[in-house]
Amino acid sequence: MSMEFANFPYLSAILLSCVVGLLVILFIPAERKMLIKWVSLVSSGIAMVLSIYLFFAYDKAQGGLQFVEKVLWVESMGIYYFNAADGFNLPMLMLTGIVLFTGVLTMWDLEVRVKEFFAFTFLLVAGVFGVFMSMDLFFIFVWYDVSLFPMYPLIAIWGSTRKEYGAMKLTLYLLAGSALILPGILYLFVKSGLNTFDVVALMQPGVFTPFQQKFAFILLYLGFGILAGVWPFHTWSPVGHVAAPTAVSMIHAGVLMKLGAFGVLRVAIFLCPEGWQYWAQLMAVLATCGIVYGAFVGLAQTDLKYVIGYSSVSHMGIVGLGLATVTIDGLNGAVFQMFAHGVMTALLFSSVGYIYDKTHTKMIPELGGMSKIMPVASGYFILAALAGIGVPCLASFWAELLVFIAAFKTYPVRGALAICALVVGALFMLRVVQRTFYGEKNEKFEHLPDVTFGSGIPRMILVAVIVFFGLFPSVMLDVIQVASVPFINGLP
Amino acid sequence: MMNLWTLFVPELYCLLMAVVFFGLALSARPNPRRDYFVALFMAGVGVVVALACVRLEGTLFFEAYRVDLFSQVFKVMLAMGFFLVVCLCTELNGIEERHHPEFYLFLTTCTLAMMMLVSSVELLTIYVALELSSYSLYILVPLRRGHGVDVEAGIKYLMVGACASAVMLFGLSYVFGVTHTTYVVEIIQVLPGVIGTPAAIVGLLLVLCGFFFKLAVFPFHFWAPDVYQGAANQVTAYIATASKVAAVGIIIRMVALSGGNSKYLVDMLVTLSIASMTLGNLVAIVQKDMKRLLAYSSISHAGYVLIGILSMSAIGYASAIFYALAYLVMNLCCFLVVVKVAHDGSDLKIAQLAGLHRRSPLLAMALMLAVFGLAGIPPTIGFTGKFLVFAAAMEKGYITLVIIAMINATISLYYYILVVKAAYLMEPDEELPRLPVSIPTKVLTVALVTVMVVFGVFPHHLLEVARAAARMLM
Repeated sequence: MSMEFANFPYLSAILLSCVVGLLVILFIPAERKMLIKWVSLVSSGIAMVLSIYLFFAYDKAQGGLQFVEKVLWVESMGIYYFNAADGFNLPMLMLTGIVLFTGVLTMWDLEVRVKEFFAFTFLLVAGVFGVFMSMDLFFIFVWYDVSLFPMYPLIAIWGSTRKEYGAMKLTLYLLAGSALILPGILYLFVKSGLNTFDVVALMQPGVFTPFQQKFAFILLYLGFGILAGVWPFHTWSPVGHVAAPTAVSMIHAGVLMKLGAFGVLRVAIFLCPEGWQYWAQLMAVLATCGIVYGAFVGLAQTDLKYVIGYSSVSHMGIVGLGLATVTIDGLNGAVFQMFAHGVMTALLFSSVGYIYDKTHTKMIPELGGMSKIMPVASGYFILAALAGIGVPCLASFWAELLVFIAAFKTYPVRGALAICALVVGALFMLRVVQRTFYGEKNEKFEHLPDVTFGSGIPRMILVAVIVFFGLFPSVMLDVIQVASVPFINGLP
Repeated sequence: MMNLWTLFVPELYCLLMAVVFFGLALSARPNPRRDYFVALFMAGVGVVVALACVRLEGTLFFEAYRVDLFSQVFKVMLAMGFFLVVCLCTELNGIEERHHPEFYLFLTTCTLAMMMLVSSVELLTIYVALELSSYSLYILVPLRRGHGVDVEAGIKYLMVGACASAVMLFGLSYVFGVTHTTYVVEIIQVLPGVIGTPAAIVGLLLVLCGFFFKLAVFPFHFWAPDVYQGAANQVTAYIATASKVAAVGIIIRMVALSGGNSKYLVDMLVTLSIASMTLGNLVAIVQKDMKRLLAYSSISHAGYVLIGILSMSAIGYASAIFYALAYLVMNLCCFLVVVKVAHDGSDLKIAQLAGLHRRSPLLAMALMLAVFGLAGIPPTIGFTGKFLVFAAAMEKGYITLVIIAMINATISLYYYILVVKAAYLMEPDEELPRLPVSIPTKVLTVALVTVMVVFGVFPHHLLEVARAAARMLM
């Protein structure tokens, strides 16, 4: 076996922290709930610290793939265990680490079937990390599926509101997506004639003919697009988000949907750049539809989680629009938006989760005046909502700005429509904030406690991240630039 | 001369086992514990014997019988399947105690027959081996202690089996007529040249029908649901695993006869494969009985295996062999749960799995992994099998077939999830006690789970063995 390790295998260590956490949890008796929670916290903490370390340790001057780990896995099929970090996946790894850690903290009070919950969560997150760091098509697909199927038990057991329906719909939709991805990947594998699944080898110019790229791209784009919530394949997403328990909503909307967009980028766009340029128009149309549709449907919702669910469809549309522009700014904005939206949605779901735990309702008309009852909890939600609207000094602002500048240049009409929809989106978010947190307070909930300092920690971390990258967007953009500039300039 | 007989050792060992059980069957007093331990010990040694003989090569009986890596790999799988089914027989409540020795006897003769089947390279020998295995099963199916359902299942199996045999004999006569020989080695030299003629293609297809019956490929699947449900759980486990593996082996050998350049044969196999997958998966959705569900799932899996076989390349055959092994392990794991949950030997409704996650977390986890494996979700061996099969088909450019198969896999996920849902989500109407799971059962469960995951993640060595076995055919 040929091995190639630059130095300490940081990326594998991130994966291992999840897998070992999972195995340790499996061997702890189910009654010892606190121990399970501490094990989860420690392993997720290690994963988060490592992912943040990698983000800052990446050598921007050198660029390219770093922290490479490559081991020949199945010789006859040309499958490599190949992990590497570049400007595109580092933000995603950091996002996953942060959301996982805060998600575990958010579920600290869980009492029902604790062992299974954290076991499934770590399996899911191992899959997510795997997709983000893999540079081998086989492993990307394996990790992708590994991250999907724990969603079913996670939602169906610990969820709420039509949980079994939501869980089944979500699982079937997402695996229907992989029914397109696998043929796409195998098609590229066979047509390349190189007998390898190595992304770096396959993305060399001239490996695929333009027709092959166009054909494979549409399969991969639709397949991954389902998970990215691309309109009109988004319908699983609000239903699933609403049904899922808080931490799962956070991980799901915060990280898992990015998996789809990242798959489009890493597999479809990397391997089929000509297909990308060919289908960019279609991508822009679908993305714009998603932005407009998500904003307007969100306007009519009365369930707080549905509101966030549809705003996610809208915001993921912005990612899609950024990718569709085929420009450096668009790509930068799209990746930045994936990160910013991930953190922001995690905060939204985390806040709603708290309110729901205490009041046992997430219907907007039944709430009202919450800022007088729980000023701190409300504060978190309002801040996240403002970030979603794109208020300056918060992370999403820069991401959305970049995407809209690029979109306006490339597709003036669609760009303008999307910006208008964003205004509608802002309107609906503010309306939700106004109805839920201001106005007459509901006497029923008056006695409820506010977020304590301890249980506020995960939310504070998320707020800090949003504000930090809002104030210093260049920290993020400098890393993404390292990957996007050479990639766009290298396009045929 | 001595040397030649060593080639035949796994089969001779099976014969010895059969004699032992025949002797036990003669004893006047039933003693299930004695029968079980004798069977367990002998089956365990059988696996060792089969493994020890895996490297042998040679021919026997005037070239009618070939021992090579291909046949030996299948013999190991059959011996393992037999051993694992015997492991499930601790509580053989589905069969009357005085019939236990007969039960083991016919399992043994069936295993013997299937070992001969995968080694036979002469048409009449193949036929004799196939009939021996079929007759053993014809007896095993109605052995169940029951109220007549078993008899119906037995008769159905016999009737469909007899029809399939008749069709196959007719096909054999065509093949003989076209090639003037019954030796596979000679057929493979003649048949590819004349495969374009109607007689040759019809003959080969009719021969395949006999084996499609064993594999429960559409339209020879009618027996499967009733027999699965009607036979005792352990017998069903055997039919669903070892018997399927042998069928895959012999179908690969027969299809390899065509030389790989017959468009008609490929079209026919593609049609049967799509029909099997789709029918199996769609009908499985509405099943309430666990064994019927597994029966329809086996019909759909027959379709997936055919995808590997119809690729007609060394990689395709290797992927089919890999898939057969994966299927053996995953299905045995499912049946382990069926046998343990329905320990009184009754049929198991899916709803009866309710609360399993509390009654036995280990069995629930094993069941979840096994059904997700059947659905083709990584990191299980089932996914790797599907991946290899699809890769082989893609190599030949059958992209539509692969997409249809993937859509089918998504459909199948629905009913597999219903099983997981029953085990993990639903609560039983009345509180049920914890399932007593003995230490050996725990070890067996953990072993099966480990095999499913480890070979799913590290398929390299297994794949190399399968490829080496498949090269024997080319």
